[in-house]
Amino acid sequence: MFDRDIWQEIFHSIKNNKLRTFLTGFSVGWGIFILVLLLASVNGMQNGFTRQFSDDATNSIFIRAGVTSVAYGGFEAGRRIQLRNSDIEYIKRSFPKDIEYISPRIYSGVSARYKSETGSYNVQAVYPDHQMIEKTLVSKGRYINENDLRNASKVAVIGRKVAEDLFKKEDPVGKFVEFNGLPFRVIGVFTDDGDDNAERGVYAPSSTFQLMYGQNDEINQIALTYNPNYDLTEALEFSERLESVFKRKFKVAPQDQGGIRVFNYAEVFENISNFTGGLDFAVIIVGLLILLAGIVGIGNIMVFIIKERTKEIGVRKALGAEPWQIIKLVLFESVFITALSGFIGLAIATGLLSLIGPNIQTDAFANPSVGMSIVVTATVILVVAGVLAGLIPAMKAAKVRPIVALSDK
Amino acid sequence: MIEIKDLHKSYKMGSNSLHVLKGINFSVEEGELVAIMGSSGSGKSTLLNILGMLDNSDSGEYILDGVPIKNLNETKAAQYRNKFLGFVFQSFNLINYKSALENVALPLYYQKVGRKERLEKSLKYLDQVGLKEWAEHLPSELSGGQKQRVAIARAMAAEPKVLLADEPTGALDSKTSYEVMDLIQKINDQGNTILIVTHEPDIADMCKRIVHLKDGVIIEDKKIKQVRAEQYV
Repeated sequence: MFDRDIWQEIFHSIKNNKLRTFLTGFSVGWGIFILVLLLASVNGMQNGFTRQFSDDATNSIFIRAGVTSVAYGGFEAGRRIQLRNSDIEYIKRSFPKDIEYISPRIYSGVSARYKSETGSYNVQAVYPDHQMIEKTLVSKGRYINENDLRNASKVAVIGRKVAEDLFKKEDPVGKFVEFNGLPFRVIGVFTDDGDDNAERGVYAPSSTFQLMYGQNDEINQIALTYNPNYDLTEALEFSERLESVFKRKFKVAPQDQGGIRVFNYAEVFENISNFTGGLDFAVIIVGLLILLAGIVGIGNIMVFIIKERTKEIGVRKALGAEPWQIIKLVLFESVFITALSGFIGLAIATGLLSLIGPNIQTDAFANPSVGMSIVVTATVILVVAGVLAGLIPAMKAAKVRPIVALSDK
Repeated sequence: MIEIKDLHKSYKMGSNSLHVLKGINFSVEEGELVAIMGSSGSGKSTLLNILGMLDNSDSGEYILDGVPIKNLNETKAAQYRNKFLGFVFQSFNLINYKSALENVALPLYYQKVGRKERLEKSLKYLDQVGLKEWAEHLPSELSGGQKQRVAIARAMAAEPKVLLADEPTGALDSKTSYEVMDLIQKINDQGNTILIVTHEPDIADMCKRIVHLKDGVIIEDKKIKQVRAEQYV
């Protein structure tokens, strides 16, 4: 089947019609080129989204309390819900298998002073676990530990920008900084490559702030990460469970987002993957339509070639060529042109991507690339396309009556 | 070798039917060199097409080398043509992008003869028509007479039972025509059966038998004394 003669004939035919072969091949190559680039763009978009959110642990859930918006369980609307330390203990007790890390967040603003430098910063008072939830990178010193928390130590982990503002060239670790007039020892400096603003923040133990500023056990928010082995459905199921438990506990209407709000990053990821999945689908459809135009082009050319070669095919049949042998000739040529030009398109597209892809790193678009599966799929599509493009012309060729070779009109 | 009994053929032209062959009875023995003559419209080409299995008859019998030729599908017809028949056309019909040698090898390719053996055999036949040195040339580099000799070599390469030639000298000047006829006569001398369709009396005279067609019937079928082409070359 793959003998030398078939290939010789194909090469002859291609060599004799270079421009025509090029023009036809171009349309298929172009189609594949566009298809690959489109798919890579969707991929790049996906990468961009993922990168933006991967700054925080992607398996995090936040529980916020606010003011109820609906009357429920005998209470009027407008009731303020307050989260407390006990709620954290309650979650730890109730969901031991689901929880990975958990921490409260208490927000407050402080005015800080070191020597003659002053500034206003936001403080998040947290548990040691918070480092894992927020994926905080400590570049100098250390993060808050259990001892700090137990002793309500006046220690702080400051952001890189804070350190620059207050300490200039000095090493802040071990120095004392005044927050609202009270001395805090700086135990570490953190960086955040996602966000400069985050580096203008300060972390402190939650117990310290609760003791200093009100002697209470109130917290603003609960941040936690769930079991990282959970898939999307399990994660969503868990946050729903959490939400319903909390709403029952605080007697908040199930649909009331004001009283208790449980925010799960998985929802965002679900939305993103739904979105990019839809985009992928649209892109494949568009790409295939472009490719279809190329296929029709090849089919068109093949019909033309057959018409031109009618006499030759007639002679071949008179010399004893069977219909299948004629079909083979046309089909192979069509598959060859399609596959070759498609591969060129594929190679140029992937080459282009590997060249410029890694250099593209914007917020919503990063490293557009194609996977092996796309390459394999494209190859299969190409061969099928070649067969489709050649089939009708080949059948037509097989039907050529050898009698036309004899008539010299 | 060839036996034809009461062969009829008509073509449909719209609502009319054109009766082209009106009962042909005709047989050819092995080793004969037959000229089929007749003016255009006499049915000589239709007869050749049916003999060449390029067209089907409406009724009648056609037996080729003891094999009844009837109700053939495309594949079977192709195999029979390849095995039994060699064709020579008026306009040579060489494949223009293949060398002389490759053209001669084509029927052998369809007989699924291996490449090496195919080329050896083809070269032998090219040598027989005196074109061994031209083996690697393309048809466009050959003269008309040379092209027809390549075509004859091609027709002979498959070692067919019968050689069918449709106006083999129709596109050649008289000197070249005689050269080609000389070659055909020599192939006939080796015992090959050859049928030639022609309207040129001098070409017909170089055969051993002349069959005259007119309006779809044979009006004359006579053996003649062959004029050798050699003397004109």
